[in-house]
Amino acid sequence: MIVPRGPLADRTEELARLGATELPFLAQVDVRCPPAAAERLGLPLEPNTARALGRREALWLGPDEWLVVGPEGEAAAIVAELDAALPKGPHSVLDASDARTVIELHAPDRLELLATGCGLDLDPRGGWVPGRVAQTLFARAQVVLHERERSTRVFVRPSFAGYVLERLLAAAELLRR
Amino acid sequence: MTGVQTCALPIFAAGVEEPNAYVEVGAPSFEAIVAATAVPVVDGMEVSPRPGMGRLPGGDVPARPAVHTHRHVETLVIGGGPAGRAAAAEAAAAGGRVLLVDERHRIDDPPEGVLCLPSTTASGIYDDGYVVCYERGVELDRVWHVRARRVVLATGAHERTVAFAGNDRPGVMLAGAVRTYLERYGVLCGERAVVLSTNVWGHEAALALASAGASVLLLEPVPVPGEVPDLAAAGVEVRSGWVVVGTEGEPALAAVHLAGPAGERETVPADLLAVSGGWNPTVQLARAIGCGLRYDEAGACFVPDGTGPDWLEVVGAAAGEVPPSAPLFRIEAGDDAEKYVELQRDQTVADVAAAVGRGLRSVEHVKRATYIGTTIDQGRTSGTLTAAIVNALLGWDPGAQGPSNPRPPYTPIPYAALAGLDRGPRLLDPIRTTPMHPAHVARGAVFEDVGQWKRPYAFPHPGEDLEAAVTRECLTVRRAAGVLDASTLGKIEVVGPDAAVFLDRMYVNRMSTLPIGRARYGVMLGLDGMVVDDGVAVRLAEDRFLVTTTTSGAAMVLDRFEEWLQTEWPELRVWCTSVTERWAVAAISGPNAREVVAALEPSVDLDPAAFPHMAVREGEVAGVPARILRVSFTGERSYELHVPARYGLGLWEEVLRAGAELGLEPYGTEAMHVLRAEKGYIIVGQDTDGTVTAEDLGLGWMVRTDGSDFVGRRSLARADLRRPDRRQLVGMLPEDPETLLPEGAQLVEEAGEPPVRMVGWVTSSYRSPVLGRTFALALVEAGRRRIGTSLLAALAAGPVPVRVTEPVFYDPEGSRLR
Repeated sequence: MIVPRGPLADRTEELARLGATELPFLAQVDVRCPPAAAERLGLPLEPNTARALGRREALWLGPDEWLVVGPEGEAAAIVAELDAALPKGPHSVLDASDARTVIELHAPDRLELLATGCGLDLDPRGGWVPGRVAQTLFARAQVVLHERERSTRVFVRPSFAGYVLERLLAAAELLRR
Repeated sequence: MTGVQTCALPIFAAGVEEPNAYVEVGAPSFEAIVAATAVPVVDGMEVSPRPGMGRLPGGDVPARPAVHTHRHVETLVIGGGPAGRAAAAEAAAAGGRVLLVDERHRIDDPPEGVLCLPSTTASGIYDDGYVVCYERGVELDRVWHVRARRVVLATGAHERTVAFAGNDRPGVMLAGAVRTYLERYGVLCGERAVVLSTNVWGHEAALALASAGASVLLLEPVPVPGEVPDLAAAGVEVRSGWVVVGTEGEPALAAVHLAGPAGERETVPADLLAVSGGWNPTVQLARAIGCGLRYDEAGACFVPDGTGPDWLEVVGAAAGEVPPSAPLFRIEAGDDAEKYVELQRDQTVADVAAAVGRGLRSVEHVKRATYIGTTIDQGRTSGTLTAAIVNALLGWDPGAQGPSNPRPPYTPIPYAALAGLDRGPRLLDPIRTTPMHPAHVARGAVFEDVGQWKRPYAFPHPGEDLEAAVTRECLTVRRAAGVLDASTLGKIEVVGPDAAVFLDRMYVNRMSTLPIGRARYGVMLGLDGMVVDDGVAVRLAEDRFLVTTTTSGAAMVLDRFEEWLQTEWPELRVWCTSVTERWAVAAISGPNAREVVAALEPSVDLDPAAFPHMAVREGEVAGVPARILRVSFTGERSYELHVPARYGLGLWEEVLRAGAELGLEPYGTEAMHVLRAEKGYIIVGQDTDGTVTAEDLGLGWMVRTDGSDFVGRRSLARADLRRPDRRQLVGMLPEDPETLLPEGAQLVEEAGEPPVRMVGWVTSSYRSPVLGRTFALALVEAGRRRIGTSLLAALAAGPVPVRVTEPVFYDPEGSRLR
């Protein structure tokens, strides 16, 4: 019996010290289609935003790319539903779960820590409020940031997850003392 | 303060403009060289004078930790003086985020609603309001990357000296600095002071010194513009028309030699000579981003001329609001070789005159001839003075040309601060690991770096050296089965109605004819016709392909796909998505591979008739969803098990457990290299170098000749790519089966005195356990025609005879693949 394992499975102590949890098994479905088709599905058309779709959320990643995020185990259902909803016309719907893990940051200083490696304006006064999404870099890792109520989700490739965790912790250790 | 060392320093100024008093800080954290006037003193600090240049001590030097922070604001104000504070308060009142930085350790009366950062120097201003600021902390340095909609420069002005004989003696100081030490720090710099003044500021300094109890003599070489305070009432003796013609005293000033307007000479005892030669607006940052300067007669200085980016505003003294000053830059009387223009480079009026005498006219040329302005202080006290002296020597107007062009950084930044957190073995560069990594570590794998990835090079048994481990791993794969962590392999899903059309254009061979469920090896060319990557394309559905790339080529291939789709063929309905990290891959290879996979209870029929070589099946393995690819990089029967990354570690452990009875062991990248080379399979980037075509590699048979287009096709018609004597990939067997050729070894036709014409080189070279000898791959001119002939490898120890062979050494019929 194979047990699923997230990239940061053995680093819970460091995650706790940072003020974060790992959500390695969320359903993530990558959707590529023309904006008109996306609109019919209820995907957000405003760049760099997320929209709730029931228990799921759709993140705008590009003019023709979205990431639909749902609870663990729903990826196949999401793929099937989207494929069915997009029967005509060209599109690409693929299960991208595991292609990124999620480090969910809860610490009150999380945006300050992200600002040590991200050039975007991560400040509510600059428009970084719950519902905002950004594909960007944190230090030398590509990440997708999703601001939520009281947390920030950092979507990162599994192979970079340890690096991102260590980089955030290094910043926290300097800025919190 | 405790434990603070003291040392005598020839202090001249009171801030970052200091040209003389430089120190090395040894503790609490090392700094090679820094202006003493810009470093806050802390408990336990160790400093020593460091005139001229800094030095790097040996060993591991503790640098102050540093962190970078990105900050976006509506307004950034640089400089916390009255003008800067007013601008910041106004901006804050108008709403929006305001940041105020000042290089000094304290910002007086910080305005409300403004984030104030003292000890923070704006190092450089770049396009579109991007400003890099360096905050010198006590225990932590910070580099602030500020993006501001509007930047206000309130950087003030720096006082300048006058070029007179003996102006470099310790005890000669800027009058403004003398006032700063007195009024801000309560330090009286001298009790018997001479003040040389061209402007009201010098007079104010004289007044302040006298009020503090010093005896003061004020020299006014030329009439000072503006309203000056009544010095006589304060007991200051004022002499108009008098100048300084020399100084004396060791180690510091003891007396000043004076000359009067009627030729009088007099020597007065003094321990301080305070000079105010006027004020230079601090415009270095503004100039570096493109603001121009004009000469201002009243201030006898250069001020911003109003040009520059529209988001930048210069205010206060920096904009030219400086006290009016007489245009006195040098005293005629006295020896020009003792009149210092640049205190840090020890350059005098005589040195400047020598440069001008050699025909140099531009301050930029004089700067390069004298090195004025090239030191740590960047000529803050010398720039305008040099320009004025050059202009005067040439008989030009004082405003004919201004100081030389400044560049960032405004003041030095330690490298450690620039590096920030991105240093050390863990954070200098990301270390990427696969889901199976913990198992590799537990098994004692020796890792190698492949780009940012850590991949197991080999899995030595206890007591086994690396070479023995590689030999064993090779034989295990050839005789039983091995498993390789191939998770790093690049994987791209290409989806859409035009996916097949698109791939036909990207590969030299046709992918559109691939049946669903089958895989095909493909080669990709650059526009120049050279091989850039190879991999396998798998057709998962009519409109869906999985494309694998080399580990190092993964990002490059996706970028190429996107570039062609976005710039050349936007009409194609295709989407490319990287799934490299979605799938963990265990590649099982060897005669027992099928039995190993069977032991994992796959949901697919493994019968070779149902599931042949170069086919793909989707189903389950060991109870988890999997894609199984029958592709081989070893020449043995192989099954690549692709499972979602979360199951990677578990699958790996299952494979090792299930395979143990069948002789399976894990193998690393080096065994993989040997095994693939035995089969003549190339590695792009090792056996190719960007000058090698598919034809050169013996893969010409793959290249379509039906006239349909693909990237690089037109270049294949170039005459140079059709030469019969191009370098071609061949095999190579040293005559002595024990001789291992070094990779890169040059190949020649005959030995002789150099220069000898080189006909090729070795690209891959290994010991083959299964062949029981060494072998190599090489690129050789007209190599295929030479098969069966001999060449010499030109090694340092002497020529080594080698036989040119076919590049496939093992199982040329491919019977072991099935």
